[in-house]
Amino acid sequence: MKHIKTLHTRNLKESMKKGGCGECQTSCQSACKTSCTVGNQSCENK
Amino acid sequence: MVHQYKNNGYNIALDVNSGSVHVVDDITYDMIALWKKEDKQTILEEMKKRYSGKAAEEELLEAMGEIEGLVEAGALFSEDIYENYIQDFSQRETVIKAMCLHVAHDCNLRCSYCFADEGEYKGRRGIMSYEVGKQALDFLIASSGSRRNLEVDFFGGEPLMNFEVVKRLVAYGREQEKLHNKKFRFTLTTNGVLLDQEVMDFLNKEMANVVMSLDGRQEVHDRLRPTPNKKGSYHLVAPKFQEFAKLRGQKDYYARGTFTHYNLDFSKDVLHLADLGFTQVSVEPVVAPPEEPYALREEDLPKLYEEYDSLAKEIIKRKKEGRGFHFFHFMIDLDGGPCVAKRLSGCGSGTEYVAVTPWGDLYPCHQFVGEENFCMGNVFDGIKRTDLQEKFKGCNVYSKEKCRDCFAKFYCSGGCAANAYHFRGNINDAYDIGCKLQRKRVECAIMIKAAEQEIEMED
Repeated sequence: MKHIKTLHTRNLKESMKKGGCGECQTSCQSACKTSCTVGNQSCENK
Repeated sequence: MVHQYKNNGYNIALDVNSGSVHVVDDITYDMIALWKKEDKQTILEEMKKRYSGKAAEEELLEAMGEIEGLVEAGALFSEDIYENYIQDFSQRETVIKAMCLHVAHDCNLRCSYCFADEGEYKGRRGIMSYEVGKQALDFLIASSGSRRNLEVDFFGGEPLMNFEVVKRLVAYGREQEKLHNKKFRFTLTTNGVLLDQEVMDFLNKEMANVVMSLDGRQEVHDRLRPTPNKKGSYHLVAPKFQEFAKLRGQKDYYARGTFTHYNLDFSKDVLHLADLGFTQVSVEPVVAPPEEPYALREEDLPKLYEEYDSLAKEIIKRKKEGRGFHFFHFMIDLDGGPCVAKRLSGCGSGTEYVAVTPWGDLYPCHQFVGEENFCMGNVFDGIKRTDLQEKFKGCNVYSKEKCRDCFAKFYCSGGCAANAYHFRGNINDAYDIGCKLQRKRVECAIMIKAAEQEIEMED
């Protein structure tokens, strides 16, 4: 496309199909302990 | 919902519900802003006026065609289809898979901003016995259902004040994980005072991640992180942390600082840590009652936004120069990030995540420890307050009015329940300053991804 460049992203709708296994890291266990950041967590079930 | 913003020369359109990110030119940016408000003919007429002499009708139609293509592909103006899904999801069986183990309610520093009340958590000092810790691990295994990965964070106060128990608990966990087909991921958060060669060797062998508390520039660190005799602690811990990060191969750790009203120019602290050689850095806003002099205030926000912007630019620049580093709050995994269930269902506090006091009492998370009305039970008798567990289980972005129309909801999953409770008295509310900073960080993080893509294409 000439006007739009789309970054490669995970399709959230598709992730409903086999999501929710719960094996990924709990967000607060990473570094923060004071906020809630999940966007940077990695999926363990891809 | 589409969130549009301009940052560092990039025009960005985030399609919130699909997670798609588009970097667009000016014409397309303006056209997207009109998209749902007007019919196509009106948009075209408006754009012709706006871009008279600057863009031909052909070009406008071309941009319009590209937008239409993305809408049809479900990558722009996609519908929110998750509300029922997440309600069903939150009805699933409760399992506990992560634990914050407070092995020491005691500390060898006297940090003014400590939410843990310098280790005492509004209670008394105390050290966890091996027996309580062992029971906590047994409780975790027994409560974890079919989850394989179990997380235990040794926390405090200062957990290295109870290092012998940490060592014994890790050994016990390693033995038990084989018997129960589980995998323990141990982590530890430390102020570094007691870090020595023996401790470093042990942590490097056993800890999946170590968080080292270091606020940045010496004067900033020393002001709020003094020793009990009121001296600064930077000189005691910074060199040890540098050595430790090197020994860990510059991975699986965070040099983690807190910024406050006293250092609104916190980007200098982030860069100070990067200049010390740390490649994994996290410097985060203090969360403190508004009456504290170091607490962040609404009027600090413009300055903090500027700081995040300038930091984002510097991070891109350093990456181009081959001396990049990771800043935790700008890290975003667009391609391999979590599924939508994870993104919507919150941090898991009070359900899949609990905190354990030195005496074995259970709380929804470390931030609730000491709030007696949030004590959920103990590791010997299990969860007694299932009502609390249910409340936390029902916590998701759709249960929070403030999150419904927020573009960042898939990146923070509704924010911190403890912050919401402490500032607003309700776990289903939100801590507004935290939300505003979170939104700014998400914008910067996505912009950095756009810039990185450009760098890759240039290469």
